[in-house]
Amino acid sequence: MLFHDWLKDESKIVLFDGGMGTELIKRGLETGKLPDLLNIEKPDIIVEIHKSYYEAGSDMCQSNTFGSTPLNLKNHSLEDKITNIIDKALDNIQKACPPGRLVVGDIGPTGEFRPPVGKATSEEWHSSFATQTRLLEKGVALFHIETISDLEEMLSAVRAVKEISDKPIIASITYKKTKRGFFTIMGDPLEKCINALENEKVDVIGANCTLGSGDMLDLAKQAVNMTELPISVKPNAGQPRIEGTKTYYDQPIEEFVRDIQDMINLGVKIVGGCCGTTPKTINGIRKIIDKI
Amino acid sequence: MSQEKIFSDILDSIVNLDEETALELANKAINDNMNLMDVIEKGYSAGIRKVGELWEEGEFFLPELMRGAQIMQNCLDLLIPHLEKGTEEISQGTVVIATIEGDIHSIGKTIVGTMLRAYGFKVFDLGADVPAEKIVDFAIEKKADVIGVSALLTTTMFGQKKIIEILKERNLLERFKVILGGAPVTTSWVNECNADGFAENAIDAVKLVKSLLNK
Repeated sequence: MLFHDWLKDESKIVLFDGGMGTELIKRGLETGKLPDLLNIEKPDIIVEIHKSYYEAGSDMCQSNTFGSTPLNLKNHSLEDKITNIIDKALDNIQKACPPGRLVVGDIGPTGEFRPPVGKATSEEWHSSFATQTRLLEKGVALFHIETISDLEEMLSAVRAVKEISDKPIIASITYKKTKRGFFTIMGDPLEKCINALENEKVDVIGANCTLGSGDMLDLAKQAVNMTELPISVKPNAGQPRIEGTKTYYDQPIEEFVRDIQDMINLGVKIVGGCCGTTPKTINGIRKIIDKI
Repeated sequence: MSQEKIFSDILDSIVNLDEETALELANKAINDNMNLMDVIEKGYSAGIRKVGELWEEGEFFLPELMRGAQIMQNCLDLLIPHLEKGTEEISQGTVVIATIEGDIHSIGKTIVGTMLRAYGFKVFDLGADVPAEKIVDFAIEKKADVIGVSALLTTTMFGQKKIIEILKERNLLERFKVILGGAPVTTSWVNECNADGFAENAIDAVKLVKSLLNK
């Protein structure tokens, strides 16, 4: 299948998409509304955003299903809509995806932490991720489990996906930078996470969100020496700044793209962006990849 | 056992997240008729401050921070009924906290609440997705000193500004200190809202509340 061919092809750098939330805000997303619900209520906007990323040069884009686990939807009293939300999300992204490109099933955190921080159990996580995977499976080429800040939750997600599907998995954890290196907020160091994900036989090891491109470059320098598996990065475009009722990300695209180029030079296989990145950012990366 | 030794054992029990020992030492302090204000300040509070320092240094993470604060709170629950002058004596002030309407992210706000309690503040945590009017009404009812409003989404943080606007409309701006929290909040947003401050994390939130109330 195409994704495995891309991974095997040493010269291929896979370009992922950029932020969804920031693009929705630009188009007037209502305060506090779960973006996943827009798959049903504003499908045209979702199709348009996916299209803009594919047109900017993304090899693959992810479905607008970041929050579509039963645990997270329950917090919004939307759990009974899960099938409809995910079905429509798949329709939307498939409409936008040109031939030869891929649709990735996006799986985000459940929003529930384990004790002592929260009350979630591994069983709850597992069943929640399994439900989401079952609904996504028919319409995606691979899965991206992302923005997970607890290794235990990530392992639950990976096991749930593998139970349901044979399709490839990119497992992206969110790290924070400390004086002692990169850790999840639950205290798992980078190397422990990478080793654990290797043991679970994921296809790609990733990191996304929270870190800007500069810090992500530092993380990539360490990560490439910790694993033989392909690495994926989706950093933020710096930190948001709010003025009036508008949100701005000030990091110049050239700076972000330069950091991505450095990460590619280190051996990072899959690149894209998270919060604050736009189709313009992705197009900037496309241009440098095409020159390689 | 000298008093200093008990204080340092209490500090260690909090830093080691050893609830059994922390509670045993609280009972011992009660039975030995020790000055419980000193026990709280020099033992438990010193312990939780150390936990906070270790968290700031990247030695401790969320689970340790939360566990430390919970143990501290359980010990305070044991000690406070034995204080001669009751809870008011150790209360540093009253804080009402909530995550703003439309936003269901509660974890950061809960951690801030737990840490403030551990540091001796009386905290009312209204939960997540709370309308601005309700937060203000509750703060008035509880005679709060500080209102803390969390927003994790750039789409919901405008609700933080609404709190200030309501206080302005009702001529209550001078009565409360309003602090903001959440990943997207910055100094410029605090200035734009005309709020009294923001904190990057739970430990900074405690420092901020203390400095706003001159504690």
